[in-house]
Amino acid sequence: MSVRIEQIDACRWRIPREGEMRTEGLVFADQAMIQVLRKEQALEQVRNVATLPGIVGRSIAMPDIHWGYGFPIGGVAAFDPEQDGVVSPGGVGYDINCGVRLLRSDLEVSEVRPRLKELADALFRNVPSGVGSHRRDLKLSTAETARVLKEGARWAVRNGFGRAEDLDHIEEQGTLPGADPEVVSDRAIERGRDQLGTLGSGNHFLEVQLVEEIADEQAAATLGLFAGQITVSIHTGSRGLGYQVCDDSIRVMLRAAAKYGISLADRQLCCAPLSSPEGRQYLAAMAGAANFAFANRQLITHWVRETFEQVLGKGPAQLRMGLIYDVCHNIAKWEEHQVQGQKRRLCVHRKGATRAFPPHHPDTPALYRAIGQPVLIPGDMGRYSYVLVGTAGAFQETFGSTCHGAGRVLSRHAAKKQARGQNTEAELAARGILIRAASRATVAEEIPEAYKDVKDVVSIVAQAGIGRIVARLRPLAVIKG
Amino acid sequence: MGHYRLLEHTADMGLEAWGQSREELFVQAALALRAVMMGAARVESRRSISLDVEGFDDAELLVNWLAEVLFHFECRRFVPAGFILEFSAEGLHAQVQGEDFDPDRHTVEREVKAVTHHQVLVEQTPQGWHGRVYLDL
Repeated sequence: MSVRIEQIDACRWRIPREGEMRTEGLVFADQAMIQVLRKEQALEQVRNVATLPGIVGRSIAMPDIHWGYGFPIGGVAAFDPEQDGVVSPGGVGYDINCGVRLLRSDLEVSEVRPRLKELADALFRNVPSGVGSHRRDLKLSTAETARVLKEGARWAVRNGFGRAEDLDHIEEQGTLPGADPEVVSDRAIERGRDQLGTLGSGNHFLEVQLVEEIADEQAAATLGLFAGQITVSIHTGSRGLGYQVCDDSIRVMLRAAAKYGISLADRQLCCAPLSSPEGRQYLAAMAGAANFAFANRQLITHWVRETFEQVLGKGPAQLRMGLIYDVCHNIAKWEEHQVQGQKRRLCVHRKGATRAFPPHHPDTPALYRAIGQPVLIPGDMGRYSYVLVGTAGAFQETFGSTCHGAGRVLSRHAAKKQARGQNTEAELAARGILIRAASRATVAEEIPEAYKDVKDVVSIVAQAGIGRIVARLRPLAVIKG
Repeated sequence: MGHYRLLEHTADMGLEAWGQSREELFVQAALALRAVMMGAARVESRRSISLDVEGFDDAELLVNWLAEVLFHFECRRFVPAGFILEFSAEGLHAQVQGEDFDPDRHTVEREVKAVTHHQVLVEQTPQGWHGRVYLDL
């Protein structure tokens, strides 16, 4: 069924309220993106989200929107518990707190280039990537896993994986409150336990990068970024533990939706009122999985630092590998927002979207308060990624959210077909980008052409005023699962 | 004769399967899932596990069945080769023949995060049984 969509301006589109919709849809995109979106089901998904009880404001989609399950990827929706608002595991996604963090260094590209191959090999060896891989020196008991679920990155730092100041530079200081390990199934614990500190596969990656261009000198200086500098990005989530929490919760929510009389346009939208036992239980399990993801990225950070020290023969004081920030992509969070002049406590679902709080917001780390919360937007392995900061515009229009990446344009099959006959690794190596991957299939499915040009996505974000571009980063070495 | 095919999806992947019976449809869907994870691997029947799966209708049962096969692959490293299924009012009981994952003979092509309920379909047609599910990769 086609979706009616009206252009508001060069980067905004409205899906008018009709049928079962409780609110209208708002999509950030340019003309070309909308033409592509009309061919798949993402716009229908924006419309379907607008039918859920207690939705506040619009059902929003970011410019990296694409067809997801239930909610679109790139979707943002806020719900009010006072108005029978719901929480939906499908609005968070299977990879709970999939996210990205960015590390800075004091290294310049000239210092790293001669050792890049060695560095890529060592990172590939030290950070487990690909299905079934794990560090043999990390074994967690069930009791210890429960502590990870409760404490997140704080658990990692307490156990020697990183520094106390890292916590100040993670969304929610690396610990989402309200986690209850008791509501996480034995199966989820079993599935995740061996996977703590692993990258996984698919679109997840670890990337050594070069700061290629600074767009905002003042913000870059505040973040500690300079042209020619080496940075590292880590993109991964809660691994099998989070997938299983989502899977377990969907089974509960399918029954809860029927119990509370919520009609669903798609089963994957299943949900329960925020105030219901099912809703509260999901949020407690989700927070546990989110904390597992924070700990996961923190462990990997520690091994990245160790690897740089070993390969480059420099100490922490010389490398100064500080954490700039860590953002969640797939999460539902309690936040305060102004709605028609009234302060309200809402549950904001971001599925493939990033929080982008403005300057002076209390949840923005003190060091960055003058410039806004850092927003990290990975692109693809052949082009570039971006660093942005949050804006007042995002706070007014998108519940303080912006995009999370480039968004796929080619299916895996189509990408694989296009990659056939081309040696992606050799082609990228010729352009100065080293790839280390656990699976050749992953490289074929993740070729740069499989993604939108992230430049087009962030340019809509900047034009719409829901994010401000600070710097562009170029990959030098990419570790894939 | 049952068969399956993989479906394109921008971000992920789907599978569609057919069978003369509901049992055959479920077996074909599990073989399709294995193909997504491992490609055309040769798998031997060296040991057997038994699985019990519930679901309030055929569509949920299909999702839960594939999720069970996925769990045993990911966590217990069990690669399925053949299936004997028995349906009951509550769900299904399966005897699954297969072997432990052997990195020397098997490869993992993709990590499947989950079997989703998005547009899941199980239907009986005059030609037999037909089903569809999408996977989160």
